[in-house]
Amino acid sequence: MNKRSHSIAFWAAVAVFLVAVLSMTQIVRNEYPFFAGYVILQFIALAVAWSILGGYAGYVNFGTNAFFGVGVYTAVALFKATGAPLAVQIAAAAVVGMTLGFGVGLLTLRMRGIFFSIATIALAIIIETFVMNWRFVGGAAGIQIQRPPVTAPFDSYVKMLFFVQAVLVVIAVAIARYVQNSRIGRGLQALRDDELAAECTGVPTLKLKLIACMISGALISAAGAPAAMYLQYADPSSAFNLSYSVSALAMALIGGTAHWIGPVLGAILLGSTQQLLAVTISSEVNVLVLGIMLVLFVVGAPKGIIGLLRPRYRLRAGGKQ
Amino acid sequence: MKRRTFLGGAMAVAVVGHGSSALAQQPPIKIGMSMPQTGGLAGGGKASLLGIEIWRDDVNAKGGLLGRKVELVVYDDKSSASETPAIYAKLVDVDKVDLLFAPYATVPTAPIMPFVKQRGLLLMGNFSFQVNSKVGHDMWFNNAPWGPADSWAASFLDLAQKAGGKNMALLTADQEFAQNLALTARDVAKKRNIPIVFDQVYPPNTVEFSSIIRALKAAKPDIVYVASYPPDSAGILRAVNEIGIGDSVKIFGGGMVGLQFAAVMSNLGSLLNGVVNYNTWLPEKSMYFDGTKEFFDKYTKRAVEAKVDPLGYYLAPFGYAMGQMIEAAVGATKSLDQKGIAKYLRENEHKTIVGPIAFSADGERKETATLQAQFRGVKDKDIEQFRSSGRQVILFPDKLKTGELITPFEAARN
Repeated sequence: MNKRSHSIAFWAAVAVFLVAVLSMTQIVRNEYPFFAGYVILQFIALAVAWSILGGYAGYVNFGTNAFFGVGVYTAVALFKATGAPLAVQIAAAAVVGMTLGFGVGLLTLRMRGIFFSIATIALAIIIETFVMNWRFVGGAAGIQIQRPPVTAPFDSYVKMLFFVQAVLVVIAVAIARYVQNSRIGRGLQALRDDELAAECTGVPTLKLKLIACMISGALISAAGAPAAMYLQYADPSSAFNLSYSVSALAMALIGGTAHWIGPVLGAILLGSTQQLLAVTISSEVNVLVLGIMLVLFVVGAPKGIIGLLRPRYRLRAGGKQ
Repeated sequence: MKRRTFLGGAMAVAVVGHGSSALAQQPPIKIGMSMPQTGGLAGGGKASLLGIEIWRDDVNAKGGLLGRKVELVVYDDKSSASETPAIYAKLVDVDKVDLLFAPYATVPTAPIMPFVKQRGLLLMGNFSFQVNSKVGHDMWFNNAPWGPADSWAASFLDLAQKAGGKNMALLTADQEFAQNLALTARDVAKKRNIPIVFDQVYPPNTVEFSSIIRALKAAKPDIVYVASYPPDSAGILRAVNEIGIGDSVKIFGGGMVGLQFAAVMSNLGSLLNGVVNYNTWLPEKSMYFDGTKEFFDKYTKRAVEAKVDPLGYYLAPFGYAMGQMIEAAVGATKSLDQKGIAKYLRENEHKTIVGPIAFSADGERKETATLQAQFRGVKDKDIEQFRSSGRQVILFPDKLKTGELITPFEAARN
């Protein structure tokens, strides 16, 4: 009963969120909130997707930028070759990301901890080099893309992208929530704590790791796909920028990785701060501020924002019952 | 303020008093831009910004534009393409700036081209390369001296062919700018039936070039066209110094990024001798126009405090020139109407501290003013030597020429 009412509350919140986003695109005329909001939503999707593997399973993936770039370039290649609509670009990016995730999942057979992280960095470099030499999508020089006309009911493409990214966030969060509460999540938790012990007690570790890698990869690539249309330009150094990896990881850690809400909170906090600093302090100082924030959280709240909130939350819940 | 008071001298004192208080209340003219202040392009971005700031101070000292002060609204784009769309949306929709300048370089500029086209906004370009060729925005004006896309390779190959070069080797970094140059170089070579005997693309982080230079030397080329980035430019010249390049090479260089910056130049010192490379401004006598000397006097003083390139030849005067063009256009049209300003910029030739500038339909220079210059008599570890003329002799364009090519390359190195 309790679980069910939780579920109802969750889906009601999702509905409210999507309706709010949709009405915002219809009411607000100033376009800046959509440009900035798109970036924040993109980071929420990335952080949530990252934490499925990095948080639940404890496999720290430094290759977020590889998956992100793959998403961007799948969209670019598909759009250039066939003029496919945005939804198809995103779906295709998810499929490619999932395939790549399967490959990364196989890596976990032999590599754990820091070695896995290093392998994912290498993966990003390999794919970036490949794209740099792929002339069809512009190679190292990058490629400019002309957006197709916007679809109703939106009056500008950025507003549409903002809504699309909001939908992707909802999908990412819903999947993360499902994974967390299902057998998969419990299995991942077990293997995070002790992979050998989990294996011995019958947890199908390889299968779970593969599933986590594929879901995480698909979601990251899907979140990256609309970036091609957002920027109307793609170049390997921006699409495969290491800052996507660092940000996704930092956001998940600052928010806390034990619960799906952690990366969401972390991404909102860090993403908004980044956007705010970009147009206020706007200099080297803004990098410093982010660094200090990360250090403070690591020292003061090793379990992230949810680690700080949880005790209170539990007390209240306990009191009610 | 001075000019206002002077103009007002003809009027009654009371009117002048009234006028100036009204002017003081007028809001400033805001010019918005993003500029790379962190990340890979920061060195160039900061120097460019200093050039623009010197213009702002000069124009404000003269009483501003249309009697209003000029104010710059600048945000850091971290040298990344993904930051600029939001920044320019903020500049236009929230800060409501009157005019837009583009950030330094191609990558941060590319994503804002469709945006300014959709909104019908004037954008003054800042050293990006062929960023408007696919977008076709008619209110874009690039301050860089590049000119037509192929002129860069064409000018270098002109010099090379005059020196008797018959075949070419290409050595290019796998990065945006270098690859753009390589594409045009291959095209021009094909048109002129110059066979390419060696064509090597190397990854951006290469540090060791001796094997590549050995292979290049073995191909015995007459012309060596290099399109490289700062760290690799240094690596390539070091390898050439150690291994040699062979007597067949008539001319070496062309598109090496980094050899325009004081730190790299003083670091390489005598290794630079003989290299023919592109540049935008050099302290040669043909390069001084109205206000050029005064600009560099100010720049040299302020560069120390701003911790930017002490020479500042490459970008800073063009930032200033960008402001000068806006100043002329706003002055002539007496308004901030962007269509009117764009029309004026397109139809007229503009006097700037980097020489006269005229635009073709695509918003690039009508004629290239990209210099090809040969390093001569450079000593080790001395920044100051680059302030005197003769260290980089201009070979192209003919209008600005200050010397002849010394060839072959090995002879020019000593």
